[in-house]
Amino acid sequence: MGYVWAAGATALCTAAGLALGAWIELVNIALVYLLAVVLIALRFGRGPVVAASVLNIAAYNFFFVPPLGTFHVDEPQHLLTFLMMLAVGLIVSRLTETVRARAQAQAELALQAETERIRNALLASISHDLRTPLAVITGSASTLAERGERLGAGERAALAQSIYEQARDVSELVNKVLQMTRLESGAIQLERDWGSINEIAEAVLRRLRDRLATHLVMVDLPENLPLVRVDASLVEQVLGNLLDNAARHTPPRTLVRLRAQATGGELVVSVEDFGPGLPEGEVERVFDKFHRGAGLGLAICRAIVRLHGGRIWAERLPGVGTAFRFALPLEAQPSMPAEVVPT
Amino acid sequence: MSATILVVEDEPQIRKFLRSSLAAEGYRVVESPNGRRGELDAGMHKPDLAIVDLGLPDFDGLHVIRHIREWSPMPIIVLSARIHERSKIDALDSGADDYITKPFGVGELLARVRVALRHATQPPSGRELALGPTKINFEKRRALRDGVEIHLTAIEFKLLACLAKHLGMVVTHKQLLQQVWGPSHVEHTHYLRVYMKQLRDKLEPDPVRPRYLQTETGVGYRLVAED
Repeated sequence: MGYVWAAGATALCTAAGLALGAWIELVNIALVYLLAVVLIALRFGRGPVVAASVLNIAAYNFFFVPPLGTFHVDEPQHLLTFLMMLAVGLIVSRLTETVRARAQAQAELALQAETERIRNALLASISHDLRTPLAVITGSASTLAERGERLGAGERAALAQSIYEQARDVSELVNKVLQMTRLESGAIQLERDWGSINEIAEAVLRRLRDRLATHLVMVDLPENLPLVRVDASLVEQVLGNLLDNAARHTPPRTLVRLRAQATGGELVVSVEDFGPGLPEGEVERVFDKFHRGAGLGLAICRAIVRLHGGRIWAERLPGVGTAFRFALPLEAQPSMPAEVVPT
Repeated sequence: MSATILVVEDEPQIRKFLRSSLAAEGYRVVESPNGRRGELDAGMHKPDLAIVDLGLPDFDGLHVIRHIREWSPMPIIVLSARIHERSKIDALDSGADDYITKPFGVGELLARVRVALRHATQPPSGRELALGPTKINFEKRRALRDGVEIHLTAIEFKLLACLAKHLGMVVTHKQLLQQVWGPSHVEHTHYLRVYMKQLRDKLEPDPVRPRYLQTETGVGYRLVAED
Protein backbone atom coordinates (compact mmCIF):
# COMPACT_ATOMS: atom_id res chain seq x y z
CA MET A 1 0.00 0.00 0.00
CA GLY A 2 2.81 2.38 0.96
CA TYR A 3 4.55 1.72 -2.37
CA VAL A 4 1.43 2.68 -4.32
CA TRP A 5 1.33 5.95 -2.41
CA ALA A 6 5.06 6.47 -3.07
CA ALA A 7 4.54 6.04 -6.84
CA GLY A 8 1.45 8.26 -6.72
CA ALA A 9 3.31 10.99 -4.83
CA THR A 10 6.11 10.95 -7.42
CA ALA A 11 3.62 11.23 -10.27
CA LEU A 12 1.79 14.07 -8.52
CA CYS A 13 5.01 16.02 -7.82
CA THR A 14 6.18 15.52 -11.38
CA ALA A 15 2.88 16.73 -12.75
CA ALA A 16 2.96 19.77 -10.44
CA GLY A 17 6.59 20.46 -11.35
CA LEU A 18 5.88 20.26 -15.07
CA ALA A 19 2.83 22.53 -14.71
CA LEU A 20 4.64 25.13 -12.63
CA GLY A 21 8.09 24.56 -14.08
CA ALA A 22 8.04 27.81 -15.95
CA TRP A 23 7.53 29.89 -12.82
CA ILE A 24 9.52 28.19 -10.08
CA GLU A 25 13.15 27.42 -9.68
CA LEU A 26 14.69 23.98 -9.96
CA VAL A 27 15.61 23.90 -6.26
CA ASN A 28 11.96 24.50 -5.27
CA ILE A 29 10.88 21.61 -7.43
CA ALA A 30 13.40 19.51 -5.49
CA LEU A 31 11.75 20.76 -2.28
CA VAL A 32 8.32 19.69 -3.57
CA TYR A 33 9.75 16.19 -4.05
CA LEU A 34 11.28 16.33 -0.56
CA LEU A 35 7.91 17.31 0.93
CA ALA A 36 6.39 14.23 -0.72
CA VAL A 37 9.10 12.01 0.76
CA VAL A 38 8.52 13.49 4.23
CA LEU A 39 4.77 12.89 3.95
CA ILE A 40 5.36 9.30 2.86
CA ALA A 41 7.78 8.87 5.76
CA LEU A 42 5.18 10.16 8.24
CA ARG A 43 2.56 7.77 7.00
CA PHE A 44 4.46 4.65 5.95
CA GLY A 45 7.57 2.70 6.87
CA ARG A 46 11.12 2.63 5.64
CA GLY A 47 10.52 0.68 2.40
CA PRO A 48 8.06 3.14 0.84
CA VAL A 49 10.38 6.02 1.87
CA VAL A 50 13.29 4.51 0.01
CA ALA A 51 11.04 3.78 -2.96
CA ALA A 52 9.66 7.34 -2.95
CA SER A 53 13.18 8.83 -2.74
CA VAL A 54 14.47 6.74 -5.65
CA LEU A 55 11.40 7.42 -7.79
CA ASN A 56 11.44 11.13 -6.98
CA ILE A 57 15.11 11.52 -7.81
CA ALA A 58 14.69 9.55 -11.00
CA ALA A 59 11.70 11.68 -12.03
CA TYR A 60 13.39 14.90 -10.94
CA ASN A 61 16.46 13.95 -12.89
CA PHE A 62 14.54 12.83 -15.96
CA PHE A 63 12.08 15.72 -16.24
CA PHE A 64 13.85 18.71 -14.70
CA VAL A 65 17.62 18.33 -14.50
CA PRO A 66 19.46 19.05 -17.71
CA PRO A 67 20.10 17.23 -19.92
CA LEU A 68 16.31 16.71 -19.93
CA GLY A 69 14.83 13.36 -20.90
CA THR A 70 17.79 11.35 -19.61
CA PHE A 71 18.88 9.83 -16.28
CA HIS A 72 22.35 11.17 -16.88
CA VAL A 73 23.70 13.28 -14.01
CA ASP A 74 26.02 16.13 -14.96
CA GLU A 75 26.55 17.74 -11.64
CA PRO A 76 27.59 15.95 -8.45
CA GLN A 77 25.23 18.49 -6.75
CA HIS A 78 22.24 16.42 -7.88
CA LEU A 79 23.73 13.29 -6.40
CA LEU A 80 23.89 15.20 -3.12
CA THR A 81 20.23 16.26 -3.51
CA PHE A 82 19.31 12.60 -3.92
CA LEU A 83 21.30 11.54 -0.83
CA MET A 84 19.82 14.37 1.26
CA MET A 85 16.30 13.42 0.19
CA LEU A 86 16.91 9.79 1.14
CA ALA A 87 18.48 10.81 4.47
CA VAL A 88 15.62 13.17 5.39
CA GLY A 89 13.08 10.52 4.44
CA LEU A 90 14.80 7.85 6.54
CA ILE A 91 15.21 10.13 9.56
CA VAL A 92 11.56 11.20 9.48
CA SER A 93 10.38 7.64 9.06
CA ARG A 94 12.57 6.56 11.98
CA LEU A 95 11.22 9.35 14.18
CA THR A 96 7.67 8.51 13.24
CA GLU A 97 8.23 4.87 14.09
CA THR A 98 9.64 5.77 17.49
CA VAL A 99 6.74 8.07 18.31
CA ARG A 100 4.25 5.51 17.14
CA ALA A 101 5.89 2.72 19.18
CA ARG A 102 5.87 4.94 22.24
CA ALA A 103 2.19 5.74 21.83
CA GLN A 104 1.41 2.07 21.45
CA ALA A 105 3.45 1.20 24.51
CA GLN A 106 1.56 3.83 26.45
CA ALA A 107 -1.78 2.42 25.36
CA GLU A 108 -0.63 -1.04 26.40
CA LEU A 109 0.53 0.30 29.73
CA ALA A 110 -2.85 1.91 30.27
CA LEU A 111 -4.57 -1.38 29.48
CA GLN A 112 -2.21 -3.23 31.81
CA ALA A 113 -2.89 -0.70 34.52
CA GLU A 114 -6.64 -1.23 34.08
CA THR A 115 -6.26 -5.02 34.24
CA GLU A 116 -4.00 -4.57 37.24
CA ARG A 117 -6.55 -2.30 38.89
CA ILE A 118 -9.32 -4.89 38.42
CA ARG A 119 -7.04 -7.65 39.65
CA ASN A 120 -6.08 -5.59 42.67
CA ALA A 121 -9.72 -4.91 43.45
CA LEU A 122 -10.39 -8.64 43.21
CA LEU A 123 -7.38 -9.44 45.37
CA ALA A 124 -8.35 -6.81 47.92
CA SER A 125 -11.84 -8.21 48.06
CA ILE A 126 -10.66 -11.81 48.31
CA SER A 127 -8.06 -11.05 50.92
CA HIS A 128 -10.64 -9.12 52.91
CA ASP A 129 -12.90 -12.16 52.79
CA LEU A 130 -9.97 -14.35 53.80
CA ARG A 131 -8.56 -12.16 56.51
CA THR A 132 -11.43 -12.36 58.98
CA PRO A 133 -11.78 -16.13 58.99
CA LEU A 134 -8.01 -16.57 59.05
CA ALA A 135 -7.75 -14.24 62.05
CA VAL A 136 -10.42 -16.28 63.82
CA ILE A 137 -8.67 -19.53 62.94
CA THR A 138 -5.26 -18.27 64.04
CA GLY A 139 -6.60 -16.83 67.28
CA SER A 140 -8.73 -19.82 68.22
CA ALA A 141 -6.08 -22.36 67.26
CA SER A 142 -3.33 -20.56 69.19
CA THR A 143 -5.63 -20.34 72.22
CA LEU A 144 -6.22 -24.08 72.00
CA ALA A 145 -2.53 -24.86 71.46
CA GLU A 146 -1.13 -22.58 74.16
CA ARG A 147 -3.89 -22.31 76.74
CA GLY A 148 -5.92 -25.39 75.97
CA GLU A 149 -5.46 -27.13 79.31
CA ARG A 150 -6.76 -24.13 81.25
CA LEU A 151 -10.01 -24.02 79.32
CA GLY A 152 -13.17 -25.90 80.13
CA ALA A 153 -14.29 -28.64 77.78
CA GLY A 154 -17.17 -26.45 76.56
CA GLU A 155 -14.87 -23.58 75.63
CA ARG A 156 -12.45 -25.89 73.88
CA ALA A 157 -15.27 -27.38 71.86
CA ALA A 158 -16.57 -23.92 70.95
CA LEU A 159 -13.14 -22.78 69.75
CA ALA A 160 -12.66 -25.95 67.73
CA GLN A 161 -16.10 -25.53 66.22
CA SER A 162 -15.39 -21.96 65.13
CA ILE A 163 -12.06 -23.04 63.61
CA TYR A 164 -13.93 -25.72 61.70
CA GLU A 165 -16.60 -23.35 60.44
CA GLN A 166 -14.23 -20.55 59.45
CA ALA A 167 -11.85 -22.94 57.73
CA ARG A 168 -14.78 -24.36 55.79
CA ASP A 169 -15.68 -20.82 54.65
CA VAL A 170 -12.12 -20.14 53.54
CA SER A 171 -12.00 -23.35 51.63
CA GLU A 172 -15.33 -22.55 49.96
CA LEU A 173 -14.05 -19.14 48.95
CA VAL A 174 -10.92 -20.64 47.44
CA ASN A 175 -13.06 -23.13 45.54
CA LYS A 176 -15.20 -20.30 44.23
CA VAL A 177 -12.25 -18.23 43.08
CA LEU A 178 -10.89 -21.27 41.30
CA GLN A 179 -14.26 -22.04 39.78
CA MET A 180 -14.77 -18.45 38.60
CA THR A 181 -11.32 -18.43 37.01
CA ARG A 182 -12.04 -21.67 35.21
CA LEU A 183 -15.44 -20.45 34.03
CA GLU A 184 -13.99 -17.18 32.76
CA SER A 185 -11.10 -18.81 30.95
CA GLY A 186 -13.47 -21.24 29.24
CA ALA A 187 -11.70 -24.20 30.84
CA ILE A 188 -15.01 -25.75 31.87
CA GLN A 189 -16.69 -28.05 29.42
CA LEU A 190 -20.27 -28.99 30.11
CA GLU A 191 -20.82 -32.68 30.74
CA ARG A 192 -24.47 -32.69 29.81
CA ASP A 193 -26.70 -35.58 30.68
CA TRP A 194 -30.36 -36.04 31.48
CA GLY A 195 -30.91 -34.73 34.97
CA SER A 196 -33.76 -34.26 37.35
CA ILE A 197 -34.09 -30.96 39.17
CA ASN A 198 -35.78 -32.83 42.03
CA GLU A 199 -32.67 -34.95 42.52
CA ILE A 200 -30.36 -31.95 42.22
CA ALA A 201 -32.46 -30.13 44.83
CA GLU A 202 -32.47 -33.14 47.13
CA ALA A 203 -28.69 -33.49 46.96
CA VAL A 204 -28.03 -29.80 47.51
CA LEU A 205 -30.43 -29.62 50.46
CA ARG A 206 -28.60 -32.54 52.06
CA ARG A 207 -25.20 -30.96 51.37
CA LEU A 208 -26.28 -27.61 52.85
CA ARG A 209 -28.30 -29.03 55.73
CA ASP A 210 -26.15 -27.39 58.40
CA ARG A 211 -25.89 -24.09 56.57
CA LEU A 212 -29.66 -23.87 56.09
CA ALA A 213 -30.56 -25.12 59.56
CA THR A 214 -31.07 -21.53 60.75
CA HIS A 215 -33.75 -20.87 58.14
CA LEU A 216 -37.13 -22.34 57.29
CA VAL A 217 -36.70 -24.00 53.93
CA MET A 218 -39.84 -24.90 52.03
CA VAL A 219 -39.58 -27.12 48.96
CA ASP A 220 -42.28 -26.71 46.36
CA LEU A 221 -41.44 -28.97 43.42
CA PRO A 222 -44.31 -30.26 41.31
CA GLU A 223 -44.58 -33.95 40.51
CA ASN A 224 -43.38 -35.00 37.06
CA LEU A 225 -41.20 -32.04 36.18
CA PRO A 226 -39.53 -32.68 32.82
CA LEU A 227 -35.91 -33.78 32.76
CA VAL A 228 -33.26 -31.28 31.68
CA ARG A 229 -30.07 -31.86 29.70
CA VAL A 230 -27.54 -30.26 32.01
CA ASP A 231 -24.25 -30.66 33.76
CA ALA A 232 -25.88 -31.68 37.02
CA SER A 233 -22.84 -30.91 39.19
CA LEU A 234 -22.76 -27.34 37.91
CA VAL A 235 -26.51 -26.82 38.26
CA GLU A 236 -26.19 -28.15 41.80
CA GLN A 237 -23.65 -25.39 42.43
CA VAL A 238 -26.07 -22.78 41.07
CA LEU A 239 -28.85 -23.95 43.34
CA GLY A 240 -26.45 -24.28 46.28
CA ASN A 241 -25.08 -20.77 45.81
CA LEU A 242 -28.59 -19.30 45.56
CA LEU A 243 -29.74 -21.06 48.74
CA ASP A 244 -26.54 -20.13 50.55
CA ASN A 245 -26.95 -16.54 49.40
CA ALA A 246 -30.52 -16.45 50.71
CA ALA A 247 -29.44 -17.84 54.09
CA ARG A 248 -26.55 -15.40 54.30
CA HIS A 249 -28.49 -12.24 53.50
CA THR A 250 -31.63 -12.77 55.49
CA PRO A 251 -32.10 -12.99 59.25
CA PRO A 252 -32.42 -16.42 60.92
CA ARG A 253 -35.83 -18.09 60.76
CA THR A 254 -36.63 -16.34 57.49
CA LEU A 255 -38.71 -18.44 55.13
CA VAL A 256 -36.80 -19.56 52.03
CA ARG A 257 -38.81 -21.26 49.30
CA LEU A 258 -37.36 -23.45 46.58
CA ARG A 259 -39.68 -23.76 43.60
CA ALA A 260 -39.60 -25.01 40.04
CA GLN A 261 -42.00 -25.04 37.16
CA ALA A 262 -41.93 -25.89 33.48
CA THR A 263 -43.25 -23.02 31.41
CA GLY A 264 -42.83 -21.78 27.85
CA GLY A 265 -40.16 -24.28 26.84
CA GLU A 266 -38.11 -23.57 29.94
CA LEU A 267 -37.67 -24.99 33.38
CA VAL A 268 -37.71 -22.08 35.81
CA VAL A 269 -36.14 -22.71 39.21
CA SER A 270 -36.61 -20.11 41.93
CA VAL A 271 -35.16 -19.44 45.33
CA GLU A 272 -37.43 -16.95 47.06
CA ASP A 273 -36.72 -15.45 50.42
CA PHE A 274 -38.98 -13.38 52.60
CA GLY A 275 -36.13 -11.28 53.96
CA PRO A 276 -35.61 -7.51 53.80
CA GLY A 277 -35.30 -7.53 50.00
CA LEU A 278 -32.87 -5.90 47.63
CA PRO A 279 -32.73 -2.11 47.35
CA GLU A 280 -34.05 -0.56 44.15
CA GLY A 281 -31.53 -0.77 41.32
CA GLU A 282 -29.65 -3.66 42.89
CA VAL A 283 -31.46 -6.41 41.03
CA GLU A 284 -29.37 -5.80 37.92
CA ARG A 285 -26.02 -5.68 39.64
CA VAL A 286 -26.14 -8.46 42.22
CA PHE A 287 -24.68 -10.89 39.71
CA ASP A 288 -21.51 -8.82 39.28
CA LYS A 289 -18.36 -10.12 40.91
CA PHE A 290 -17.85 -8.89 44.47
CA HIS A 291 -20.72 -6.48 44.18
CA ARG A 292 -21.52 -5.22 47.68
CA GLY A 293 -19.99 -8.12 49.54
CA ALA A 294 -21.96 -10.59 47.46
CA GLY A 295 -18.70 -12.35 46.71
CA LEU A 296 -18.49 -14.69 43.78
CA GLY A 297 -21.44 -16.96 44.36
CA LEU A 298 -23.94 -15.16 42.13
CA ALA A 299 -21.36 -14.38 39.45
CA ILE A 300 -20.60 -18.11 39.26
CA CYS A 301 -24.34 -18.84 39.01
CA ARG A 302 -24.66 -16.46 36.08
CA ALA A 303 -21.66 -17.93 34.27
CA ILE A 304 -22.95 -21.50 34.69
CA VAL A 305 -26.51 -20.69 33.65
CA ARG A 306 -25.32 -18.83 30.55
CA LEU A 307 -23.08 -21.76 29.66
CA HIS A 308 -26.27 -23.83 29.59
CA GLY A 309 -27.97 -21.33 27.29
CA GLY A 310 -30.25 -20.23 30.12
CA ARG A 311 -31.15 -16.99 31.89
CA ILE A 312 -30.77 -15.88 35.49
CA TRP A 313 -32.27 -12.87 37.17
CA ALA A 314 -33.37 -11.37 40.47
CA GLU A 315 -36.79 -9.90 41.26
CA ARG A 316 -38.08 -7.85 44.12
CA LEU A 317 -41.10 -9.68 45.45
CA PRO A 318 -44.21 -7.58 46.02
CA GLY A 319 -44.35 -6.65 49.66
CA VAL A 320 -41.19 -8.15 51.05
CA GLY A 321 -38.37 -10.39 49.89
CA THR A 322 -36.36 -11.31 46.84
CA ALA A 323 -36.62 -14.02 44.22
CA PHE A 324 -33.61 -15.37 42.38
CA ARG A 325 -34.66 -17.34 39.35
CA PHE A 326 -32.93 -19.20 36.60
CA ALA A 327 -34.41 -20.73 33.48
CA LEU A 328 -32.95 -23.70 31.63
CA PRO A 329 -34.08 -24.50 28.09
CA LEU A 330 -36.18 -27.66 27.83
CA GLU A 331 -35.61 -30.22 25.10
CA ALA A 332 -37.78 -33.00 23.72
CA GLN A 333 -37.95 -35.61 26.47
CA PRO A 334 -35.96 -38.81 25.90
CA SER A 335 -37.87 -41.95 25.06
CA MET A 336 -38.34 -44.52 27.76
CA PRO A 337 -39.15 -48.12 26.87
CA ALA A 338 -42.26 -49.23 28.71
CA GLU A 339 -41.60 -52.04 31.13
CA VAL A 340 -43.63 -55.12 30.55
CA VAL A 341 -45.14 -55.66 33.96
CA PRO A 342 -45.27 -59.37 34.77
CA THR A 343 -48.72 -60.40 35.85
CA MET B 1 -8.31 -57.22 66.23
CA SER B 2 -8.24 -53.69 64.91
CA ALA B 3 -8.32 -53.05 61.17
CA THR B 4 -5.28 -51.79 59.27
CA ILE B 5 -5.84 -48.83 56.98
CA LEU B 6 -3.45 -47.80 54.22
CA VAL B 7 -3.34 -44.08 53.53
CA VAL B 8 -1.83 -43.10 50.16
CA GLU B 9 -1.53 -39.33 50.32
CA ASP B 10 1.30 -36.97 49.34
CA GLU B 11 0.44 -34.03 51.61
CA PRO B 12 2.15 -34.63 54.98
CA GLN B 13 -0.33 -32.41 56.82
CA ILE B 14 -3.31 -34.34 55.50
CA ARG B 15 -1.58 -37.65 56.31
CA LYS B 16 -1.01 -36.40 59.82
CA PHE B 17 -4.64 -35.47 60.28
CA LEU B 18 -5.81 -38.79 58.81
CA ARG B 19 -3.39 -40.73 61.00
CA SER B 20 -4.49 -39.07 64.22
CA SER B 21 -8.20 -39.27 63.52
CA LEU B 22 -8.04 -42.89 62.36
CA ALA B 23 -5.70 -43.92 65.19
CA ALA B 24 -8.07 -42.30 67.70
CA GLU B 25 -10.73 -44.74 66.48
CA GLY B 26 -8.37 -47.65 67.13
CA TYR B 27 -7.33 -48.32 63.53
CA ARG B 28 -3.74 -49.20 62.68
CA VAL B 29 -2.50 -46.78 60.01
CA VAL B 30 0.11 -47.38 57.30
CA GLU B 31 1.14 -44.24 55.41
CA SER B 32 2.47 -44.00 51.87
CA PRO B 33 3.62 -40.66 50.50
CA ASN B 34 3.19 -41.56 46.81
CA GLY B 35 1.59 -43.98 44.42
CA ARG B 36 4.57 -46.31 43.89
CA ARG B 37 5.09 -46.65 47.63
CA GLY B 38 1.33 -47.14 48.05
CA GLU B 39 1.30 -50.11 45.68
CA LEU B 40 4.21 -51.70 47.54
CA ASP B 41 2.69 -51.04 50.96
CA ALA B 42 -0.63 -52.48 49.83
CA GLY B 43 1.13 -55.74 48.96
CA MET B 44 3.36 -55.78 52.01
CA HIS B 45 0.95 -54.81 54.78
CA LYS B 46 -2.21 -56.36 53.35
CA PRO B 47 -4.41 -53.63 54.83
CA ASP B 48 -8.14 -54.09 55.42
CA LEU B 49 -8.93 -50.84 53.62
CA ALA B 50 -7.11 -48.27 51.50
CA ILE B 51 -7.67 -44.52 51.38
CA VAL B 52 -6.17 -43.20 48.12
CA ASP B 53 -5.74 -39.56 47.14
CA LEU B 54 -6.53 -38.96 43.46
CA GLY B 55 -3.99 -36.15 43.01
CA LEU B 56 -0.73 -37.98 43.71
CA PRO B 57 2.55 -36.48 42.49
CA ASP B 58 4.12 -39.49 40.79
CA PHE B 59 1.15 -41.06 39.10
CA ASP B 60 -2.59 -40.93 39.15
CA GLY B 61 -4.40 -42.51 42.08
CA LEU B 62 -6.28 -44.47 39.40
CA HIS B 63 -3.17 -46.58 38.80
CA VAL B 64 -3.00 -47.48 42.46
CA ILE B 65 -6.66 -48.48 42.47
CA ARG B 66 -6.34 -50.64 39.33
CA HIS B 67 -3.16 -52.19 40.67
CA ILE B 68 -4.75 -53.11 44.01
CA ARG B 69 -7.87 -54.41 42.25
CA GLU B 70 -5.72 -56.85 40.28
CA TRP B 71 -5.14 -58.91 43.40
CA SER B 72 -7.37 -57.71 46.21
CA PRO B 73 -11.02 -56.90 46.87
CA MET B 74 -10.10 -54.69 49.84
CA PRO B 75 -12.39 -51.64 50.11
CA ILE B 76 -10.88 -48.49 48.58
CA ILE B 77 -12.04 -44.98 49.41
CA VAL B 78 -10.74 -42.18 47.19
CA LEU B 79 -10.03 -38.64 48.34
CA SER B 80 -10.84 -36.17 45.61
CA ALA B 81 -10.75 -32.42 45.21
CA ARG B 82 -13.60 -30.61 43.53
CA ILE B 83 -11.62 -30.29 40.30
CA HIS B 84 -11.24 -34.06 40.04
CA GLU B 85 -14.93 -34.56 39.23
CA ARG B 86 -14.23 -36.73 36.21
CA SER B 87 -11.39 -38.80 37.66
CA LYS B 88 -13.53 -39.49 40.71
CA ILE B 89 -16.07 -41.26 38.51
CA ASP B 90 -13.28 -43.08 36.66
CA ALA B 91 -11.89 -44.19 40.02
CA LEU B 92 -15.27 -45.56 41.10
CA ASP B 93 -15.73 -47.32 37.77
CA SER B 94 -12.19 -48.75 38.11
CA GLY B 95 -13.01 -50.44 41.37
CA ALA B 96 -12.93 -47.84 44.14
CA ASP B 97 -15.84 -48.36 46.51
CA ASP B 98 -16.54 -44.86 47.68
CA TYR B 99 -15.23 -41.32 47.66
CA ILE B 100 -14.99 -38.30 49.87
CA THR B 101 -14.43 -34.77 48.63
CA LYS B 102 -11.80 -32.51 50.18
CA PRO B 103 -12.21 -30.66 52.43
CA PHE B 104 -14.12 -33.10 54.60
CA GLY B 105 -15.01 -33.43 58.25
CA VAL B 106 -13.74 -36.37 60.22
CA GLY B 107 -17.27 -37.58 60.95
CA GLU B 108 -17.95 -38.04 57.27
CA LEU B 109 -14.66 -39.86 56.74
CA LEU B 110 -15.13 -42.25 59.65
CA ALA B 111 -18.68 -43.01 58.54
CA ARG B 112 -17.40 -43.97 55.07
CA VAL B 113 -14.62 -46.08 56.58
CA ARG B 114 -17.00 -47.90 58.92
CA VAL B 115 -19.47 -48.68 56.15
CA ALA B 116 -16.71 -49.93 53.83
CA LEU B 117 -15.11 -52.11 56.50
CA ARG B 118 -18.42 -53.57 57.57
CA HIS B 119 -19.06 -54.36 53.94
CA ALA B 120 -15.81 -56.25 53.60
CA THR B 121 -16.38 -58.37 56.68
CA GLN B 122 -20.16 -58.88 56.42
CA PRO B 123 -21.27 -58.31 52.86
CA PRO B 124 -25.04 -57.72 52.58
CA SER B 125 -26.84 -60.97 52.03
CA GLY B 126 -28.69 -59.56 49.07
CA ARG B 127 -31.75 -61.44 50.23
CA GLU B 128 -33.38 -58.93 52.53
CA LEU B 129 -33.42 -55.22 53.11
CA ALA B 130 -35.13 -53.06 55.70
CA LEU B 131 -35.81 -49.42 54.97
CA GLY B 132 -37.55 -48.09 58.04
CA PRO B 133 -41.01 -49.65 58.12
CA THR B 134 -40.50 -51.25 54.72
CA LYS B 135 -39.12 -54.78 54.41
CA ILE B 136 -37.94 -56.00 51.07
CA ASN B 137 -37.33 -59.65 50.27
CA PHE B 138 -35.42 -59.97 47.02
CA GLU B 139 -35.71 -63.75 46.72
CA LYS B 140 -39.49 -63.72 47.01
CA ARG B 141 -39.63 -60.38 45.20
CA ARG B 142 -41.86 -58.88 47.82
CA ALA B 143 -41.93 -55.53 49.55
CA LEU B 144 -44.07 -54.96 52.62
CA ARG B 145 -44.64 -51.76 54.54
CA ASP B 146 -46.20 -52.45 57.93
CA GLY B 147 -47.43 -55.71 56.52
CA VAL B 148 -49.03 -54.12 53.45
CA GLU B 149 -47.66 -55.19 50.07
CA ILE B 150 -46.01 -52.55 47.88
CA HIS B 151 -45.88 -53.47 44.24
CA LEU B 152 -42.45 -53.07 42.64
CA THR B 153 -41.77 -53.89 38.99
CA ALA B 154 -39.04 -56.33 37.94
CA ILE B 155 -36.70 -53.48 37.00
CA GLU B 156 -37.40 -51.64 40.23
CA PHE B 157 -36.47 -54.77 42.18
CA LYS B 158 -33.33 -55.22 40.14
CA LEU B 159 -32.27 -51.60 40.62
CA LEU B 160 -32.94 -51.72 44.33
CA ALA B 161 -31.04 -55.00 44.66
CA CYS B 162 -28.09 -53.46 42.85
CA LEU B 163 -28.00 -50.56 45.29
CA ALA B 164 -28.58 -52.86 48.25
CA LYS B 165 -25.56 -54.95 47.28
CA HIS B 166 -23.47 -51.82 47.93
CA LEU B 167 -25.52 -50.68 50.90
CA GLY B 168 -24.24 -47.38 52.25
CA MET B 169 -21.82 -46.92 49.37
CA VAL B 170 -22.10 -44.98 46.16
CA VAL B 171 -22.93 -46.82 42.93
CA THR B 172 -22.21 -44.95 39.68
CA HIS B 173 -24.72 -44.37 36.89
CA LYS B 174 -22.67 -46.58 34.63
CA GLN B 175 -22.57 -49.48 37.07
CA LEU B 176 -26.31 -49.33 37.65
CA LEU B 177 -27.21 -49.05 33.98
CA GLN B 178 -24.86 -51.87 33.08
CA GLN B 179 -26.16 -54.20 35.75
CA VAL B 180 -29.85 -53.43 35.41
CA TRP B 181 -30.31 -52.72 31.70
CA GLY B 182 -27.13 -54.16 30.20
CA PRO B 183 -23.93 -52.86 28.63
CA SER B 184 -25.65 -51.30 25.61
CA HIS B 185 -27.58 -48.91 27.84
CA VAL B 186 -24.78 -47.32 29.88
CA GLU B 187 -25.45 -43.91 28.31
CA HIS B 188 -29.17 -43.90 29.11
CA THR B 189 -29.00 -41.97 32.37
CA HIS B 190 -32.63 -40.90 32.00
CA TYR B 191 -33.72 -44.51 32.72
CA LEU B 192 -32.23 -44.03 36.17
CA ARG B 193 -33.93 -40.68 36.69
CA VAL B 194 -37.30 -42.21 35.87
CA TYR B 195 -36.88 -45.41 37.86
CA MET B 196 -35.32 -43.78 40.91
CA LYS B 197 -38.29 -41.45 41.05
CA GLN B 198 -40.66 -44.44 40.90
CA LEU B 199 -38.75 -46.17 43.69
CA ARG B 200 -38.79 -43.06 45.85
CA ASP B 201 -42.48 -42.55 45.31
CA LYS B 202 -43.07 -46.10 46.51
CA LEU B 203 -40.52 -46.38 49.32
CA GLU B 204 -39.78 -42.93 50.72
CA PRO B 205 -42.00 -41.34 53.38
CA ASP B 206 -41.18 -37.93 51.83
CA PRO B 207 -40.03 -38.42 48.21
CA VAL B 208 -38.99 -34.74 47.96
CA ARG B 209 -36.42 -35.24 50.71
CA PRO B 210 -35.51 -38.91 50.39
CA ARG B 211 -33.91 -40.61 53.34
CA TYR B 212 -32.87 -43.92 51.81
CA LEU B 213 -32.36 -43.39 48.10
CA GLN B 214 -29.88 -40.55 47.98
CA THR B 215 -28.59 -38.79 44.87
CA GLU B 216 -24.88 -38.21 44.42
CA THR B 217 -25.09 -35.47 41.82
CA GLY B 218 -23.16 -36.25 38.66
CA VAL B 219 -21.91 -39.55 40.10
CA GLY B 220 -24.71 -41.96 40.97
CA TYR B 221 -26.83 -43.05 43.90
CA ARG B 222 -26.36 -44.28 47.43
CA LEU B 223 -28.76 -46.47 49.36
CA VAL B 224 -28.67 -45.65 53.05
CA ALA B 225 -30.64 -47.92 55.34
CA GLU B 226 -29.89 -46.37 58.71
CA ASP B 227 -30.37 -42.86 60.06
